[in-house]
Amino acid sequence: MIKLVNLTKHYDGLAAVDSLNLEVQPGEIFGFLGPNGAGKTTTIRVMMGILKPTSGQVFLGGYDVERQPEEAKAISGFIPDRPFIYEKLSGLEFLQFVGKLHRVESVRLARRILELLERFELARWKDELVESYSHGMKQRLVVCASLIHQPRILVVDEPMVGMDPKGARKMKDLFRSLSDAGTTVFLSTHSIGVAEEVCHRIGIIQRGRLIACGTMADLYAQAQTKQGNLESVFLELTQDNSDDGG
Amino acid sequence: MSSIVILLSPFWLAWKNDFLRSGQRWRPRWLLLALAIAFWSGIYYVVRRVLLYFQSVYDLGPSLAYQLLLIILLTFLSMLLFSNLITALSNFFLARDLDLLLSTPVSAGSFYYSRVITTILNSSWMVLFFSLPIFAAYGTVFGSGISFYLWVAVVLPLFLIIPASVGVLVTHLLVYCLPVKRIRDILFFIGLFSFMVIYFLFRFAQPERLVQPESFGHFLQFLAAMETPASPLLPSSWSAEVLAAPLFKRPTDQGFFYALLASYALFLPLVTSWVSGAIYLTGWSKAQESKQGRRKYEIVESALDWLTCPFPPVLRALIVKDIKTFLRDSTQWSQLFLLIALIIVYLYNFKVLPLDRSPMPTATLKAVVSFANLALAGFVLSAVAVRFAFPAVSLEGKAFWILQTAPISLRTLLWSKLWLNLIPLLILGELLVFLSNLLLQVPSWMMMLSLATVLLMTFGITAICVGVGALYPKFTFDHAAEIPTSFGGAVCMIVSIAFIGAAVLIEAWPIYFLAMRGLNRGGSTVPELWVLAPSLLGVLALTLAAVITPIRLGLKSLERLKD
Repeated sequence: MIKLVNLTKHYDGLAAVDSLNLEVQPGEIFGFLGPNGAGKTTTIRVMMGILKPTSGQVFLGGYDVERQPEEAKAISGFIPDRPFIYEKLSGLEFLQFVGKLHRVESVRLARRILELLERFELARWKDELVESYSHGMKQRLVVCASLIHQPRILVVDEPMVGMDPKGARKMKDLFRSLSDAGTTVFLSTHSIGVAEEVCHRIGIIQRGRLIACGTMADLYAQAQTKQGNLESVFLELTQDNSDDGG
Repeated sequence: MSSIVILLSPFWLAWKNDFLRSGQRWRPRWLLLALAIAFWSGIYYVVRRVLLYFQSVYDLGPSLAYQLLLIILLTFLSMLLFSNLITALSNFFLARDLDLLLSTPVSAGSFYYSRVITTILNSSWMVLFFSLPIFAAYGTVFGSGISFYLWVAVVLPLFLIIPASVGVLVTHLLVYCLPVKRIRDILFFIGLFSFMVIYFLFRFAQPERLVQPESFGHFLQFLAAMETPASPLLPSSWSAEVLAAPLFKRPTDQGFFYALLASYALFLPLVTSWVSGAIYLTGWSKAQESKQGRRKYEIVESALDWLTCPFPPVLRALIVKDIKTFLRDSTQWSQLFLLIALIIVYLYNFKVLPLDRSPMPTATLKAVVSFANLALAGFVLSAVAVRFAFPAVSLEGKAFWILQTAPISLRTLLWSKLWLNLIPLLILGELLVFLSNLLLQVPSWMMMLSLATVLLMTFGITAICVGVGALYPKFTFDHAAEIPTSFGGAVCMIVSIAFIGAAVLIEAWPIYFLAMRGLNRGGSTVPELWVLAPSLLGVLALTLAAVITPIRLGLKSLERLKD
């Protein structure tokens, strides 16, 4: 469902993402793990067509993001780490706007909005301007917007930033339920607990390169350790290059 | 003092970093510099020509030049007052860094002075930009030497400080005193206040006096009136008095007027700082409370639905979103007050034009004035479009990712911005030209020509503003009013004025031809089709270029954001 082929992105000659090859299957929750500045957000931005790759290709549902951007984006939802949204629209209007951009038919859109607002406990606030929302509410609204068109792929960048434990629990449940329904979830995070708890497979990226990829068992094998948890595996695999990037 | 410097440091550091780390952006900067020099030279040339013409009027030259100086300074003063009101509101009560700054142990005084300085710089640079070639032209025409320029250098800062202090003071009082705790209401009052100020300042100038010498009864009385300011209580008149001494070598009470100017420029910021110290925090708290909630206007919703129904769904969604965010962002819609004041003053100009007293045949003169009106209307449209259409792309701000990740093309986005801005600008342009032509009572062919030309010009201007806005987007800003004052805003203004200049030049030939025919033969000024058609086609071709080129460049630039 998601395929990255030799994906490379350079900034002023520096490789933020370096020859990344990756495939994620339908219904899979894939954790994309890495220290700060490893290239997670850059990869995601290239995947979503916000950035152009220096070389390589991204396929979402078989569509080449560079050549068929509209088709690729139509089947994808995106939740960024910092949810900047139009402050002067109400929550309801924002969702209507995003739904229309995705060409969701109006009756279905109205029904879908109500369903999502209820599910994410925003129904009471739907007519308030976004500027009066708390960080968590904005985050939840962005989640609603990303699901408005029932995407086949959901790309999530740091999903738990600023969320309270209840919100975090709901997000994890959401990823599981989406996966059960066949949606592919690509989850970028540096929260090892989240990755360990919900992901079917995990890829570890460092300095733009994928240094490990597989199920938990695969990662234990790669790290040559049979005990501990993902945190110790992660530290083991990234120990030689533990300094931060940009 | 050091904390003021610290508080100002983000301002100049941002400027410095932007300047030094511009990477590949040096080429457009040189281009801008070249355009700015060309623009300055143009202003200098025009003002110089006007002043030289005045000089040729026996005995009246200096008096006419003095009156022009008064009007110029009065115009600057009114622009500064309005601009300072809006900027002060943004800087003191709406800026995004206020939470951060007010939570630090900075003294109220340091905070106040740093914000006043920022307000002056933000709101006055445009006046400085326009005034320098004007003063240079005065200096060279009247051969007043270095002393005049030195006086300009010491008068201008004081002249800028006074309206800034008044703007800051009025903003503080309005935010503090108004029982209605909503920013939009405050801005409504600010807009109303500015409108009244601009209107009265304009009336104080009594520009129609210049062309009605008979109303003074006696020539000496007329001459005396021409050498005194119509409104002696305004800082613009004091500044004119100070500058008149070295300029026209005439005895004025220069020291007195300078002392008056200096005392107000020193006293007003001090008074404002006391007021600010006493009421700022209360006002700021009120401004925070006012951010909550919203009234829902069903009529607006239905009107939007009805107005946008001809557009395809995605385009419609973009347009509705833009209109709603515009109507709800008081820093944006409040600028409409400036527009209304501008239109009224503009049309009033035509009402008082004494065309019947001219030695030229009235029909010919009307055609010439109506033609000149096209250039003026174009200029007004440019000024408005730079305020509203240029920021269209930038206003997507940090939420631009939503559009980038949506299944729509950037071309659709740019066209939505173009249509959205084109329609109100077209109504404004056509209305301006139609009403002023109606006041001028121009013949129907001139009316048709003007309306057609403005239609084309508005297309071009809007596309230039939207295109250049996409070419130089400014996605990070503290308040929307910053966007038109950016580098791209200046490029946009210069390019759209160049476009208007070119369009007017293309149409100048048939108008000149008709005017000459009217003057020489006293014959009919109704043109044949072969006189008008080529130039109209020329303007059409120019407009097509002005629509296609900037939109293409803007599109490419937005594509480059992905790099």
